[in-house]
Amino acid sequence: MKLVQPELQSRLAAEYVLGTMRGGARRRFEDYLRMPQHQSLREHVADWEAHLTPLANHLSGVTPPERVWLRIQAAISGSTTPALTGTSKHNALKMPANKGLWQSFAFWRSLGLGASGLSAALLITLFASNAFRPAQEPMMMAVLEDQGVARLVIEQPKSGLLMVKMVKPWMPSPGNSLQLWVIPAAGAPRSLGIVNGTGETKFATGDMDVKLADGLVIALSKEPVGGSPTGQPTGMILCKGAIAKMPPKQKPRPQI
Amino acid sequence: MSTPPAPDQLANLLARTGMGDRRAFAELYEATKSKLFAVSLRIVHERQVAEEVLQDSFVKIWHHAADYAAAKSAPMTWMTAIVRNRSLDIVRRPNLEIADDEDYFASNMPDESPAPADALAAKRDEAQITRCMKGLVGEQHKAIAMAFFQGLSHSEVADKLGKPLGTVKTHIRRGLLKLKDCLDGQVNHVGDDGART
Repeated sequence: MKLVQPELQSRLAAEYVLGTMRGGARRRFEDYLRMPQHQSLREHVADWEAHLTPLANHLSGVTPPERVWLRIQAAISGSTTPALTGTSKHNALKMPANKGLWQSFAFWRSLGLGASGLSAALLITLFASNAFRPAQEPMMMAVLEDQGVARLVIEQPKSGLLMVKMVKPWMPSPGNSLQLWVIPAAGAPRSLGIVNGTGETKFATGDMDVKLADGLVIALSKEPVGGSPTGQPTGMILCKGAIAKMPPKQKPRPQI
Repeated sequence: MSTPPAPDQLANLLARTGMGDRRAFAELYEATKSKLFAVSLRIVHERQVAEEVLQDSFVKIWHHAADYAAAKSAPMTWMTAIVRNRSLDIVRRPNLEIADDEDYFASNMPDESPAPADALAAKRDEAQITRCMKGLVGEQHKAIAMAFFQGLSHSEVADKLGKPLGTVKTHIRRGLLKLKDCLDGQVNHVGDDGART
């Protein structure tokens, strides 16, 4: 295909911008656009974009759900965001110092802060995959990070159910299990259960006595096979993140 | 002067985003999310897919905001193009919906809500294309509006209009030519009412 004639260039650019150029033709055209020598073609496209896209202003705005922004934030950086780490002070755990590091909210919060672009790619992969596409608006979600890298995503599709998905499979570690914990506003961490390190895990949370609240921290630790023998986390914290609740549609009482 | 996010402000937010300013990026998202979501939703139809498109697009905007300066286009145009292209890439349309036959351009005309990019220049661009669109004959207008707003291919437009594919292609090609003449004419003679050729 020779694209020397201005008329042809303009016509193709118009069909490209209009969107009627599809499939293979569209991809080939985009290849052309990227070639340094096709500056005039790029200009035709820019002209048509400038001309046609203002038509989009005729559309009435539709507000996207809050989770889109949470996911964008999770994707562009593994560093903390207000929405994902919970900034509200009232969530800070007030616990006696002698309960140790594991129960110190500050300790949880201090882990895994820092930026990394790596999680972006991982999360995009994750959210782009069909496997992780919530069937409905989740009631809450949390992205658990390790040093700024997203490792695990939790969503609550409906009351009493948590879906846990690894961003990428965890390296199998014989002799260990991965255990998930929720850190309540007061009191000791509660086990959510053992997580499948290579795929998706579902938890029924109906009988838990802790309410999932905005800003509460969820963490994953490495424990002996079958879970912590003490009922409290004993091993290394692998990743953690705070719960971000989705705006309620009706009356949300997510009980876990 | 006192309009909400004008192109200048959006350009400023984009520039700051390009330097890694997350607050600017958040403002940019707030200012444009509804329009851009609507653009995608109209093409992909499913909310979940449109959410994905919006996510992908803003991740791209984040990573490419620094390139915006070189794009020489209005900020909303630049971002809308990203969203439209992503929507067109991702759209899978196993079944054609026949339902919204009347749901094209005309029904979208009156939107009095202020667009985020509302400003004189943006208004002028919009007025130009709107006027030139009105100058198209019925079938050309319909076909182009359907293609633009719903992201339909030639054959999908043909199916919806119940016209032969070749006819639709011709309508679109001629319509685009007329649009180009009209738009070029308006650039040279702003306000010239004889722009309809």
